[in-house]
Amino acid sequence: MNRAFRRTMAIAHKEVLHIIRDARSVYMALGLPVVMLMLFGYGISQDVDHIPLSVADEDRTPASRRLSEGLVAAADFVRVEDLPSADDAEAAFRSGRAKAVLAIPRGYGRDLGRGLPAVAQLLVDGSDGTTATIAMGDAAGLVQATSSGRAARASLTEGPRVRARFNPGMRSAYNMVSGVIVLILAMVASLLASLTIAREWERGSMEQLFATPVSRVEIVVGKLIPYTGLGFVQTLLVLTLGSYMFDVPIRGSPVTLFVSSTLFLLAMLGTGLAASIIAKSQLVAVQFAMLGFVHAGRDAERLHVPHREHARVASRAVDGCAGPLLSDDPTGRAPQGQRARRSCR
Amino acid sequence: MKVLVILQSLLNVIKKELSQTMRDRRMLSTLIISPVLQLVVFGYAIDLDVDRIPTVICDQDGTPRSRELAQAFFADRTFLHSGDVLEPGAAQADLEDGSAAAAVIIPRGFALLVARSDAPEVQVLVDGTDATRAQVAANAASQFLLTQGIGTEPNVQPRAAGASLAFRVMYNERLKTPVYMLPGVLATLLLNVTALVTAMGLARERESGTLEQILVTPIRPSVLLAGKCLPYILFGLVDILAILLLGNLIFDVPFRGSFGVIALGSFLYLFSTLGIGIFIASFSASQQQAMLGAFGFMLPAMLLSGFMSPISSMPPWLRPFTMLIPMRHYVEIMRACLLKGAGTGDLAQQMIALAVLGVGILAISVARFRKRLT
Repeated sequence: MNRAFRRTMAIAHKEVLHIIRDARSVYMALGLPVVMLMLFGYGISQDVDHIPLSVADEDRTPASRRLSEGLVAAADFVRVEDLPSADDAEAAFRSGRAKAVLAIPRGYGRDLGRGLPAVAQLLVDGSDGTTATIAMGDAAGLVQATSSGRAARASLTEGPRVRARFNPGMRSAYNMVSGVIVLILAMVASLLASLTIAREWERGSMEQLFATPVSRVEIVVGKLIPYTGLGFVQTLLVLTLGSYMFDVPIRGSPVTLFVSSTLFLLAMLGTGLAASIIAKSQLVAVQFAMLGFVHAGRDAERLHVPHREHARVASRAVDGCAGPLLSDDPTGRAPQGQRARRSCR
Repeated sequence: MKVLVILQSLLNVIKKELSQTMRDRRMLSTLIISPVLQLVVFGYAIDLDVDRIPTVICDQDGTPRSRELAQAFFADRTFLHSGDVLEPGAAQADLEDGSAAAAVIIPRGFALLVARSDAPEVQVLVDGTDATRAQVAANAASQFLLTQGIGTEPNVQPRAAGASLAFRVMYNERLKTPVYMLPGVLATLLLNVTALVTAMGLARERESGTLEQILVTPIRPSVLLAGKCLPYILFGLVDILAILLLGNLIFDVPFRGSFGVIALGSFLYLFSTLGIGIFIASFSASQQQAMLGAFGFMLPAMLLSGFMSPISSMPPWLRPFTMLIPMRHYVEIMRACLLKGAGTGDLAQQMIALAVLGVGILAISVARFRKRLT
């Protein structure tokens, strides 16, 4: 038993030496999560705003102007141009100048004044589904509120109150940081692990290892240990930066966070190793490993997995990570990932 | 004469590279089958449509009127009735443990207030963890309740007086996710095949020392580079065809544009990604570094390309940088061409940007690589 442990540690030691000697890889492995965190935190936002809007106002009355200006002022639209007629909408969409076109027909103001239904049309670009959905949602809520009926005005003052729990500002940063942590852990861990064994195959040193008393289990475990350590460093780094720079709270129990991170890390490392063992070359190993985690990345972006998906390790950990991070419960409930799938969307 | 010699040596390198790849069956499968696999799984797995949001109702009124409201709330499929609770505390608990993403709390006396044409107060709690979903849910809920508010007098139709807005979704009526995601997926997969594989391939030759051996031969370094990269353009094109075909067959991704535009855009894009691959290889002493470098480029590029989150929502200081990402232009070209039927005229700006980027990146990286080699 003792000898097995010593042999495993010897392999781990050898691996650590390999890692240290390739300092550039370590910098990149640590730097990539930080870069992604910055990007997600400062640059990327799921909050859709500044939607470019073209206005095709064929009515040109004060009422129609009120509508177009009201839409721009209160919702997240940016007026980029005025089109002479609604027929030019297609050209605007094709060239990508606008993501939405407000088409106000002639007679709009007149109908409004007469108390008749006055319908304007908002065309949204379906080739960008995210923006389209949000644009329609914003505009719909707004127009109801600005319509000039007594009933509508009454409902404005005591409009529905919508409160967002856990994330009162509905800042997408909270979602992103938890997602980013998972994404980066998944990817870098899996990729690095996928290269180690394949590298030994390529260099021929794997056969040499087989000639030594080291068993296959010891090789695998020994190689896993340093990369687990690296994964911890990455997690700590991202978590610390995340809380400082973006004020993402850690409301739950750190222990739960730690445990779920470890389990997840081991799972992803395992995926990478499996890829590495199947593929005898590093190039191929990377491709196989990518198949394993590509969904972790996509899911982490949205933190939602349709219930059709089975056994996605990443999404469970995402719940596990996001749960303690954001829930108010100080005792830290069991990682949400272990709950039934139907809890996710 | 010299041109013939160069062409001949180029062909030889391409032959060598192709036979090397063909012999590695696993490599071949990952180059062609893996993107296809990824597309299929990705297309089915990703469903960014925000609907069927699990919602609990806390109906403290229990009158026919309040039940009517609750039922109407779920009439379109945005919200999914996932349960009823007796008091607001339980609703909040449900939000917390994730079994619901929204809660509607109808206060006692709701029906009375409505009958008196007074303003009832309905509370909607939304789980803010996922900001997009929360935003959509909040908007949908507000819209719904405002409609109900307008309709407090039973005879008043919501549209009888006042403005209303009709919506029309162009190009992707049902807003199906795979349709507008496919261009981005395609761009990523191509980036994988051309940039990552090229970078690692070049690094592998350097690692195993065969690069130096080849350089001893009369071949020019630039010809060597070109020969190593061109086969991957071929694979990239095969992948594009396969993905477009499958996308159309399985996910109903339309093909409204012209093949020529797609071919031109793809060629230009592949040139830039190849340049990026060579650039990364020139920095890498080992395959691991090449891989990390490629990912270090790919991930930010994917984010900044605008296919996952819109460029218009990015902060103003970041937007100019997205012009430097070839993926951004390619995604715009593909989206416009496949979904909107745009032609070269509409896409001139993107094509030129891709061409400039491609030539620029290739020139820099070839120059760098040659310096490293000699």
